[in-house]
Amino acid sequence: MGVLITPAMIGQVVISGLLAGSIYALVALGLGLIFGVMRVLNVAHGPLMMLGAYTTFWLFQWFGVNPYLSMLLSMPLLFLIGVVLQRVLVSRVVDAPELSSLLLTFGISIALVNLAQLAFTSDLRSVEFLTGSFVVGPFALSKPRLAACAFAVAITGASFVFLRSTRLGKAIRAVSQSREVAQVCGIDVQRIHLLAFGLGSALAAAGGSLVAVMVAIQPEMGQVYTFKSFLVIVLGGAGNYPGALLGGLLLGLVEQLSSLFLTTQVNEAVAYVLLVLVLLIRPTGLLKGRV
Amino acid sequence: MTTAAILEVRRAVKRFGGVAAVNGVSLALEPGRIYGLIGPNGSGKTTLFNCITGADRVDEGEIFFKGRRIDRLKPHQIFHLGVGRTFQVIRVFPELTALENLLVVTTGGYEESCRRARELLARVKLERLAEEFAGNLSYGQQKLVEFVRMLMTDPELILLDEPAAGVNRTLLNELLDAVRALRDQGKTVLLVEHDMKVVMGLCETVLVLDHGEKLAEGAPGVIQADERVIEAYFGR
Amino acid sequence: MKRPVVFAALLLVAAVALAAYPVGATGYGVRVMLQLFMWVALAQSWNLISGLTGYVSFGHVAFFGTGAYVSSLLIVKAAWPWPLACLGGGLAGALLAVIMGWPCLRLRGPYFAIAMLGLNEVLRVIASYYEGLTGGGNGLSLPTLDASVAIYYAMGLVAAGVTAVTYLIVTSRFGLRLMTIREDEIAAEAMGIDTFRYKLYAFILSGIGPGIVGGLSARDQGYIEPISVFPLIMTITMIVMALFGGKGTIWGPVLGAAVLFAFQEAVWARFTYLHQLLFGAIIVAVVLLMPRGILGVLQQKYNLPRTI
Repeated sequence: MGVLITPAMIGQVVISGLLAGSIYALVALGLGLIFGVMRVLNVAHGPLMMLGAYTTFWLFQWFGVNPYLSMLLSMPLLFLIGVVLQRVLVSRVVDAPELSSLLLTFGISIALVNLAQLAFTSDLRSVEFLTGSFVVGPFALSKPRLAACAFAVAITGASFVFLRSTRLGKAIRAVSQSREVAQVCGIDVQRIHLLAFGLGSALAAAGGSLVAVMVAIQPEMGQVYTFKSFLVIVLGGAGNYPGALLGGLLLGLVEQLSSLFLTTQVNEAVAYVLLVLVLLIRPTGLLKGRV
Repeated sequence: MTTAAILEVRRAVKRFGGVAAVNGVSLALEPGRIYGLIGPNGSGKTTLFNCITGADRVDEGEIFFKGRRIDRLKPHQIFHLGVGRTFQVIRVFPELTALENLLVVTTGGYEESCRRARELLARVKLERLAEEFAGNLSYGQQKLVEFVRMLMTDPELILLDEPAAGVNRTLLNELLDAVRALRDQGKTVLLVEHDMKVVMGLCETVLVLDHGEKLAEGAPGVIQADERVIEAYFGR
Repeated sequence: MKRPVVFAALLLVAAVALAAYPVGATGYGVRVMLQLFMWVALAQSWNLISGLTGYVSFGHVAFFGTGAYVSSLLIVKAAWPWPLACLGGGLAGALLAVIMGWPCLRLRGPYFAIAMLGLNEVLRVIASYYEGLTGGGNGLSLPTLDASVAIYYAMGLVAAGVTAVTYLIVTSRFGLRLMTIREDEIAAEAMGIDTFRYKLYAFILSGIGPGIVGGLSARDQGYIEPISVFPLIMTITMIVMALFGGKGTIWGPVLGAAVLFAFQEAVWARFTYLHQLLFGAIIVAVVLLMPRGILGVLQQKYNLPRTI
């Protein structure tokens, strides 16, 4: 650890951080949508992402589908799953005390993980598709990470366009701000809830499909993303959708930066320490949130 | 600062996002009087209440209670200094009995607190419902429980957020009598209310808020005739 | 008022029976019952914070694991006798609660839940990292000792102790104030209750039990490693047990622990792989159909006192 840190290293770290952060932002946006619209903390978010990763894996394994194209399937699939979960289960606890929705999604999450273990076994899987890096000057840009970032940015961008410009998107933002007022304005809040959960799940699936190329796929892979998505929401402020984007990038940066100084094992705890720090100093998020 | 004022708010500002819900409000309440706080919807009344009781924090300005600065304190600390409040939407503890709702408040001895709680419940004729879960009581009964719960520590400043909301005539008169009795005991009452008859009939001084600013202050009759107030309510 | 007397008598009979159990039972039987006591203690402790205040602790096994490690280290490195070491584990649990609770309990429920979710992972990482101290991933072995019966009694005492503490709390003003936090934290604050302080007290109390039984369990197993004492399934199990029996009640966690432990022994033997799925399904079912748990539902239906 007594290594001299060069500007090139810092530059590398910043790039890696942004690349990783874009995925965090994507997945966290999904969680943020669900929380912003329904005030439900979806503990099952990670497992949904895991299902997206598995979808990509099986499509690749059986039909040789390009992992990035597989998102055309994994996203709608998880959208449907999300809608069903919302319709059948989550909708019943939207108005209940927070404890209920937390426990419910927690129950769903363990059930999903176990189902995955039953269906897919816990064997580690991987998608060998894109490997290697582009070397640009002193920086090495991992190809899969770059591709993942590109897609993440595209999907996140599209989501923001959706939220800003389309009627449904505006309806979502309206319900996020005030359900009563939205109802009075004639918005079908139940439908928006379904949409939000579906979209949130689809975004998680996209994240899963993208990381499928880079990490080992196994049923419990999503847990850490659940926590990190929560952290991003805390960083960016609940209900603050652009905040989720910034929070994700920030998390990515912090993690990569700290990897310069800490061993990999301890680095796992960085996200956690960051959370505690933020909670202590600015519980409403670094940007203004609407809790 | 007038030494007589029991509550003083100086140029309080509270912002939510880009909007200033309370925008430079100043007021001074003299002890032993009943004040009314009125204004059209969104004028910042409840926000101001929240800032006084510590539920929200002012972004600018200061708030003093009996000469002591309270705007940085937590709600429970402000409560123990002698400021009590009720809420716009009733906040009794539904799974506790009416008696227990009152008991959780004080830190005095158990026996003494029980006695006082029963006494307060009796004052509003709810003593026979003392062991009933608060969640099972009627709206009006819950309102009364919330009211006397606040009185457990004998607060000197009482803030009532829309006490007349959803309450029938009889109950309302009981409440109003209770408020007058409190004033006679030397307590100061500040209430937010939309029901103009209540405000004009009960309050000695009326403060008007509009768009987060204090528009007018004076006796009920004066306020009623004030053109600016009429304009604020009925449009520009 | 015959019911309390009958109840107390039943309790006494049960206590005597349990105390006498090891005399006639097999070694296996003792270890099974010892585990049941452990679960009662765990579910009951979880109930203290999550059931009473409504602040869901998703990482409660952190106290168990910490207690296990601290107590084992005291035995191995400092040659403490195990009963004392386990109490040390309980103290460690309390300290962890202070360290964790101080920043995290200031916040509203969801944020606290998030914080607790990650706690486990951090502790597991720490335990793995400090190899010199904890044996890292290789685990820690304790000197061999056959003390199952003694540990049985110890576990039983802790289970009884935590239940007794729950009873004392629920019937006190302290407990009432904890419940107001669950009912309406804003109103509680407005009524002069320092919610942070009360939450912290409850949290500390909820960390002691798991700390002690963590130490006892480690002593019983004779060996611990990070993954075995910080498993998510343990948190899940605690939660299901307390939820199922009735969170916020006194005997709910006991009932839930007993029923689900029996179920676990039956199912686990045959369908290990369905374990989590079933528990997840139970949680979902309980939250949707009877969020108050068995005793909670009975309490409401028959207007039973809170001391159930």
